[in-house]
Amino acid sequence: MNLLLDSIQSAFLLLLACDPELFSIVGVSLKVSCISTLIASLVGIPVGFLIAHSNFYGKRLLLTFLNTLLALPTVVIGLVVYSFISRRGILGPWELLYTQKAIIIGQVILIIPLVTSLCIAAISKIDSRYRKTALTLGATHLQMALVILKEARYGIGAAVIAAFGRVIAEVGISMMLGGNAKGFTRTMTTAMALEYDKGEFVLAVALGLTLMTIAFGVNMLFHFFQGRTEVDAI
Amino acid sequence: MLFEAAKLTRTFKGREILNLSQFKLEKGKIYALIGANGAGKTTLLNLLALLDKPTSGQLFFCGQEVQYNRQQLLHLRRRIVLVDQHPILFTGPVWKNVEFGLKVRGIAKKIRRERTEEVLALVGMEEFYLADAHKLSGGESKRIALARALVIEPEVLLCDEPTANVDAENQEIILQILKRINRKKQTSILLATHYLSQSRRLAHHTLLLEHGALSETIDPA
Repeated sequence: MNLLLDSIQSAFLLLLACDPELFSIVGVSLKVSCISTLIASLVGIPVGFLIAHSNFYGKRLLLTFLNTLLALPTVVIGLVVYSFISRRGILGPWELLYTQKAIIIGQVILIIPLVTSLCIAAISKIDSRYRKTALTLGATHLQMALVILKEARYGIGAAVIAAFGRVIAEVGISMMLGGNAKGFTRTMTTAMALEYDKGEFVLAVALGLTLMTIAFGVNMLFHFFQGRTEVDAI
Repeated sequence: MLFEAAKLTRTFKGREILNLSQFKLEKGKIYALIGANGAGKTTLLNLLALLDKPTSGQLFFCGQEVQYNRQQLLHLRRRIVLVDQHPILFTGPVWKNVEFGLKVRGIAKKIRRERTEEVLALVGMEEFYLADAHKLSGGESKRIALARALVIEPEVLLCDEPTANVDAENQEIILQILKRINRKKQTSILLATHYLSQSRRLAHHTLLLEHGALSETIDPA
């Protein structure tokens, strides 16, 4: 117990001292997580809209497949991406392995199904009269889609926040594809794992506290969006 | 001729909802469409608003056959507006709802504002310009939905039970507005209603729809 309390105390001192190593790690984590969330959102939101608003053969199967992908372990993604970007892989000449780009690729693959599934759920809940009203008032299909997306904005926002929460806390992809190189690909979770291995708890606890603070902030946002959706539904 | 249809049918899951052997509507007139629940009134309105495609048959609008390709549909839909039985207003203020049809047509902001104010005055809702659309009563929402349709000055206005679930005062206001825009702007109107009294008061012709088929046309005495 004393070890934990001492570590927490030292971790606070490290945070207050604005330790450059700590902030570098947090910076890398935020950077890769934000970029991967942005890319996944740019793909997942339109795809989610198209799936939610189309009726095609095999739609149920596709939804089941997407939901199955939500349970995809990060190490599996790490392995698959590794096989493509390692020196012997198809994308080997691009030298992506152990770079931030590699982490981003893996994280994007991880959260695209999450963003897409949650967007499908959010958009499917929107009253079909919005579509009908927009079209009868002369909207093009793109303008109609924007109306629907606007009405589903809280649900979509919650999907994006949930995806960000997923990537900022993952460790498998960052470790396997990033390689935990100090100052380059060391993220909060990989640094915590390393510090734990070394038996150095102070930095690990400080990073843990930072990660929890970010997670708390993300969850607060998520609940805010959820609350807004429920209020809107009343 | 405004609308002309031949052998128009619409089926849902194998059940025939609508079957019109012949159907004609003239320009500039008010038509009332009377029928029991499930008679096919809403289905017919959706077909005429070009929001739905018939299972078989041909539909002509102003002499032009509807081909149901995206380009033609957009062009034709911009001349016809359907006001739903339970209209839904977009999230946001009333003015944004009303100007929607003008905005999607690329009308300048200044003109949008002027026309929004004009049409809100026409439906007697000018003081609701800044109001939150989702905080309006049922009758107020119907008047705003009507204003949203009228602001684009459609050639055809289709109204699905415009006075259903509306208090007597709002009912009267809505009927007066319909009469006025038909007289002033020659807007062709087709309204689905349960009330023969309303159709007698307002419509030039009354169409009776039974089990998806037009059974008779009642002309005013």
